[in-house]
Amino acid sequence: MEQDKPTAIQRLTKKREKELLEMIGKQQIHLTLERMYLIRAFEEKAEELYGLGKTHGTMHLSIGQEGTALGACTAVKSGYDYLLNHHRGHGHCLAWGGGVKEMMAEFMGKETGYCRGRGGSMHIADVERNNLGANGIVGGGLPMSVGVGLSIQMRGTDQVCLAIFGDGAANTGPFHETLNMASIWNLPVIFLCENNQYAMSMSLGRAFNIDYISQRGCAYNIPAVTVDGNDFLAVYDAVMNATERARSGEGPTLVECITYRWRGHSRSDRQLYRTRDEIKEWREKDPITRLAGKLVKAKMLTEDEQVAIKEKTRQSIEDALVYAEDSPAPDVSTVMEGVYAD
Amino acid sequence: MAREVIMPRFGMTQEEATIVRWIVQDGQQVEYGDPLCEVTTDKVNMEVEAPADGILGGIRFEEGVTVLVTEVIAFILEEGEAVPEVVNTQPRGSEKKIPLEITRGEKPVKATPVATRMAEQAHLDLSTIPGTGNGGKITRQDVEDFITGQMGEVKVVGGKVRASPAARRIARERGVGFDKVRGSGPRGRIQGWDLNEMRKTKDTLSPGRQSAVIQLQGIRRTIAERMQGSWQNIPHITFSLDIDMSRAIAMRQLLNARLDESEGTISISAVLIKACAAALGQHPLLNSYFRDGEILMHPDVNIGLAVALEEGLIVPVIHHADRKGLFQIAEEVGDLSRRARTGDLQPGDVVDGTFTISNLGMYAVDQFTAIINPPQVAILAVGRIADRFMPDETNRPELRPMMTITLSVDHRVVDGVAAARFLSTLQGILETAGAQWG
Amino acid sequence: MLTDMNLEVNQHSVVRELTYAEALREALRQAMQKDASVFLIGEDIGIYGGAFGVTAGLVEEFGSERVIDTPISEAAIAGACAGAALTGMRPVGEIQFMDFVTLSMEQLALQAAKVRFMFGGKASVPMVLRMPSGSGTGAAAQHSESLENLLVHIPGLKVVMPSNPYDAKGLLLASIYDNNPVIFVEHKLLYKIRGHVPEEMYQVPLSETKVVREGKDVTIVATSIMVARALEAAEKLQEEGIEVEIIDPRTLNPLDEDPIIKSVVKTGRAIVVHEAVRTGGYGGEIVARIASSEAFDYLEAPVRRLAGLDIPIPYNRELERKAVPQVEDIIEEVRGLIRGAY
Repeated sequence: MEQDKPTAIQRLTKKREKELLEMIGKQQIHLTLERMYLIRAFEEKAEELYGLGKTHGTMHLSIGQEGTALGACTAVKSGYDYLLNHHRGHGHCLAWGGGVKEMMAEFMGKETGYCRGRGGSMHIADVERNNLGANGIVGGGLPMSVGVGLSIQMRGTDQVCLAIFGDGAANTGPFHETLNMASIWNLPVIFLCENNQYAMSMSLGRAFNIDYISQRGCAYNIPAVTVDGNDFLAVYDAVMNATERARSGEGPTLVECITYRWRGHSRSDRQLYRTRDEIKEWREKDPITRLAGKLVKAKMLTEDEQVAIKEKTRQSIEDALVYAEDSPAPDVSTVMEGVYAD
Repeated sequence: MAREVIMPRFGMTQEEATIVRWIVQDGQQVEYGDPLCEVTTDKVNMEVEAPADGILGGIRFEEGVTVLVTEVIAFILEEGEAVPEVVNTQPRGSEKKIPLEITRGEKPVKATPVATRMAEQAHLDLSTIPGTGNGGKITRQDVEDFITGQMGEVKVVGGKVRASPAARRIARERGVGFDKVRGSGPRGRIQGWDLNEMRKTKDTLSPGRQSAVIQLQGIRRTIAERMQGSWQNIPHITFSLDIDMSRAIAMRQLLNARLDESEGTISISAVLIKACAAALGQHPLLNSYFRDGEILMHPDVNIGLAVALEEGLIVPVIHHADRKGLFQIAEEVGDLSRRARTGDLQPGDVVDGTFTISNLGMYAVDQFTAIINPPQVAILAVGRIADRFMPDETNRPELRPMMTITLSVDHRVVDGVAAARFLSTLQGILETAGAQWG
Repeated sequence: MLTDMNLEVNQHSVVRELTYAEALREALRQAMQKDASVFLIGEDIGIYGGAFGVTAGLVEEFGSERVIDTPISEAAIAGACAGAALTGMRPVGEIQFMDFVTLSMEQLALQAAKVRFMFGGKASVPMVLRMPSGSGTGAAAQHSESLENLLVHIPGLKVVMPSNPYDAKGLLLASIYDNNPVIFVEHKLLYKIRGHVPEEMYQVPLSETKVVREGKDVTIVATSIMVARALEAAEKLQEEGIEVEIIDPRTLNPLDEDPIIKSVVKTGRAIVVHEAVRTGGYGGEIVARIASSEAFDYLEAPVRRLAGLDIPIPYNRELERKAVPQVEDIIEEVRGLIRGAY
């Protein structure tokens, strides 16, 4: 691995890229690309629905961050390992293998949604497949990752916990408590920082006095690396390494993925804190087109296949929409359900 | 021998009075009982009377001066006698009593000596008693009020009664109102147990509930107040009628003969109850309640029979008298009377009466008028049965057992004609009584 | 006197006395022996034995992997309990002083309490968080809090306050095996009191209110240490011919209110006694429930609250004593109520 300077962005060599593609294989990489397109289409549809008033509350779109989502979630065994993520979590949920139908239904507050309409966009979880939920509190999932790590250790399995958080969470108190505990106890947690360079309107430059969040790893003696979050393969590589460490009992790793969100923080964001030029610049680093480009170059993808994938995802979204719209809303008389377990 | 004229106490709670004017002047001759001066308490004007024949002398206070109760204000002297010295006087004049400062903990509590003593005897903490005297000083009245719960008006502005939820429930259940109920709770609040005040049971004061109360006010006092209230508020009109009781008596004797000793006897009262119940059936207006400007026609005929006790009057009720036979009524009358005298009546025995009979026939009373028991609208006063000479069919005098009944009705509800008709019906029932009553 | 409260003495168990702290320890030990999923986590609970000695000896028996000492990280402690509970374990966390639960509030209120509901009833968080509360040790304002009502106010949490050793063990075992997050509040001054505690594992059901003493003149609803003080007051009042009925809810939320209502119907007079500050305290909840129940129609006087003064706990011992209800305050309050002072 090349490194410009300590804790700088780590870039993959061409050789390594080739190795990875071979390791992943054509079938799997097609599925990955398909998922990325699915996330993109899903997010765009969600945006449209929100604009039409068909979903309510608030929505945090991850358009532009698909590379990180897929890179991280495919490098672990989704469904076996655990996922904790943040409020901008639609992409992670889908990358974890979540169903667009159940997600769409949840957005519309329907009984058939992942959370039976009780959770909404910020609290989507698929507990059966060990997706322990998106979280409405910045950094909210981090302390729980300590518990998950302890649980894994006590039960003696080789599971890992993928804890995804944003740049904003890296300044909260619980972030520090968590990293410290993970370090002293050698917990099998991958701390994945999805650094899209803005915590709402607060830019990296104003919130931090360091260049890379990965620099914080050394404060807790946790190995850390920064990668290009829009390069699927770079993320995949870094998370895979971290996962291997964790599974073999070597403890936590901090993986920082530099990326960018194309849309505002939420729907009500007027985005006065960044320039159109900046957004335009990052749109040219679109993770989907970059991966597709690499695949075409490596002769693992044809134009037709690409078109087919796009059409397939478009259709999935349409089907999901019909499913969600036809689904029943929760029965109002069940409003008290689910507060306490028996 | 000089006689002291003292400022008397006119009311139980009075502590002082102000001299309004001297009717008799110093040196004037007076006779025993002559009014000497006019005084006023906060409630009423009264006269102080001479305790003996003699000459009024040694007037110690002028008009307009407020004097403590039991203080000497003048003397009745014999001819040529000198005015005696008065020793051990209390602070007087228009200056108020010097308040006694009692410090309990941090808070100084002002109270009169009388109030202090009363509170001590009642094991009360003065600091919990609100004072209405000057500067919040606690007076004897305050302590008494605290104990009996009569601070201020029972009825709060707006016509709402201060009553605990329990009292309200009991009142609701019994279909009775709070008028004339005196509250024993703080600030005159009516408590649940106040609604049972007519009940004479042994455990009226369970030690756990009212350990601070020194004394019951007495059934007599309560009765007195109720009587006054009734007489003052209800326009009574009365109607008397003489009833020939020969057939009723004959029937009664016949029926009694059928009973053996253990079954008791049928009393005249029982006969009256049965007769009234039947009459009321035909004249339901006299079986109603008048409350808050509304006439409530009562579905049941519950006849109360006034029973005289040492302490006063109590009225146990025969419920549903219209549906009971004479034997049953007689049995109940006997039982209730007995229990009334031994003090074993239950609350349920005295509630929900719709009409009352007061029978003084066992005494030497020919006729009398009774006071209505609100919210009832009528009451029947029954005199003794005595032989009188009445004209027979040929207008010759014949001895017949006659009984004078007097009906009092609430004129707001029952007019003369209605009353007369009722009496007529009743007369008919009694004068044609037969064995079919059994 | 306190042994009289333990009416459910099992015929077969040996009558033995333990302190409240020993009873708690026994519950923890027995649960950990029986169940590998139960573990302890908190500050200084290992070799130090816990700030109040409750966990003494347990690390020697179960090892530091199951009796985990943590750095000073209350948020992470609570979060770790939540995360572990979400993934198959039954953690019992300890917050060293109830005052510090304020640092755990986000993880308790927004994560542990709500995960089940937000995820449509598809997850559960079977954790216990124990904490010593209350004043009387001269520890002053920041180490003497009674904050149970803050936690009562959060649906999804259960709040339990045992008043004696028998209940302490039984309720702790019931809490560990309850499938919800339970806040377990132990009054510091109770740790040393002795009482009958059966040797076997037994549970005192949650949400079961107990009539501790029967009486006909006034109902006292008391929590935690106020139960013992109310009992002492009752002995004294009995000499004056006043019979006090004492009720211990034991679980503050969800509350079993029927025995309280029945009692007030019987006596017509009620007082709620607790250490926590009057304004916004649990007493208000009880008074409201009584006032809106059928008991209202049987009240002869207003329902009274005897509670802590609305001040932080002072350092001076005399002032500290004055700040919370004492036995003599309870006696005076009852006397006043009986005499019609209110």
